[in-house]
Amino acid sequence: MTYLDYLPNFFSGLAVTAAVSGLAFALALALGVLAAVARQWGSVVPRAIATTYIEVIRNTPVLVQIFLVYFGLPAFGLRLPAFAAGVLALAVNGGAYLAEIIRAGFRAVPRGQVEAARTLDLGRRQTLLDVVLPQALRLVYPPVVNELVQMILATSLLSTIALNELTGETLIANAITFQTMQVFTAALVLYLVLTGLVSWGARWLGRVAFHPPLDVRGIRRQAPLRRFSFGRTS
Amino acid sequence: MNLDALWESRRLFELGFLFTLRLTVITVVTSTVLGLLVALVRISRVPVLSQLMRVYLEVFRGSPLLIQILFVYFGAAFLSTSGGLSVLTAVTIALTLYQGAYISEVFRAGFESVPPGQREAARALGMSRFAIMVDVITPQTFTVVLAPLFGQYISLVKSTALASVIGYADLVRQAQGIIDRIGSPFLVYSVVALLYFVISFPMSLGARYFETRTSRRGPVTA
Repeated sequence: MTYLDYLPNFFSGLAVTAAVSGLAFALALALGVLAAVARQWGSVVPRAIATTYIEVIRNTPVLVQIFLVYFGLPAFGLRLPAFAAGVLALAVNGGAYLAEIIRAGFRAVPRGQVEAARTLDLGRRQTLLDVVLPQALRLVYPPVVNELVQMILATSLLSTIALNELTGETLIANAITFQTMQVFTAALVLYLVLTGLVSWGARWLGRVAFHPPLDVRGIRRQAPLRRFSFGRTS
Repeated sequence: MNLDALWESRRLFELGFLFTLRLTVITVVTSTVLGLLVALVRISRVPVLSQLMRVYLEVFRGSPLLIQILFVYFGAAFLSTSGGLSVLTAVTIALTLYQGAYISEVFRAGFESVPPGQREAARALGMSRFAIMVDVITPQTFTVVLAPLFGQYISLVKSTALASVIGYADLVRQAQGIIDRIGSPFLVYSVVALLYFVISFPMSLGARYFETRTSRRGPVTA
């Protein structure tokens, strides 16, 4: 048996990795928007809840969060399969980081922009949608993409709860073939291809979807923006 | 009652906490040194070495830390005839390479934030390259670098949890042992999360402090 016999398994692992990260990221975006709004504009109670959520999640390891969901929640009668537990844990984790990114993006739009819009007699709604949002989106887009890449990388931790994503399949192939170098190199290359494709696609989208085109030169290479990426990387 | 059992396990939590702390301190030092060296190579544009560093950054920032740890640990065992690396050595190497890649970008951003006029002025005054780097450029990067550097250290603390996967006896590993004995995984992992929070949250506050200080004074301008 050589590691080449395991190529199909690698690709099915890659598919699981992509599915988990996609689902978790979509959920995380929703959670992130909610938490950002609650922390920035909410009244006392929602703000306290959002702040606690964001700070607790960002100051504890994602691995422990995954274990809490997978091994801990059954104590409360919620016995999730590995896939669902993984999606939930990563979504809750990513949501906290995305919340801070989104919040920082909105806060970074200069106040003068809002004041000018009001002076021009734009309504609140128009001010938000036509003036603040487009500017905030430009600021938020690169760190959000970075967050997606980090989420893809974090899915590898789900191998510890026996989800056969790419890392899980790699460990199995290693245990059976003992061709350690080949097996791990293959996994490494597949991860690089996946994250490379995602950042390449994001760069393309940045050029096409924004006016003027947003040039995100090497999103992954970009130095972490202050206040945008505290302690990111799992 | 489970809380009693939890209290009886305090020695194990303590041991795990100390192991986590030890790994954190070691890798903070090693990855900062590595990050600084890589940043210096990249900004001074040493011909072949600079390109190699780019490849290093791409690989280590584009693949998961867990794969890197497993690669180093199992890879060393595969290549060596004498049993490979110890768990601590393997995890230190992997964590250093991984965090060093991110930290080097923090330093590089710091160096690039210093206006070129500073370097030119120093050269006009006849300072040596080394003196320019040490006495002119580096001091000016501190305000820019400190906040993101602390941010990266927070990430580092949390990423040490992955060492448990190859058997390093840190907090997570000890928690698994405690759960095997007393059960109640939710309670035990909550305590573990709390202990990480105790290390990480003060660092977050520190990072925030540096950040507000920087934004109040503003980055150095020419």
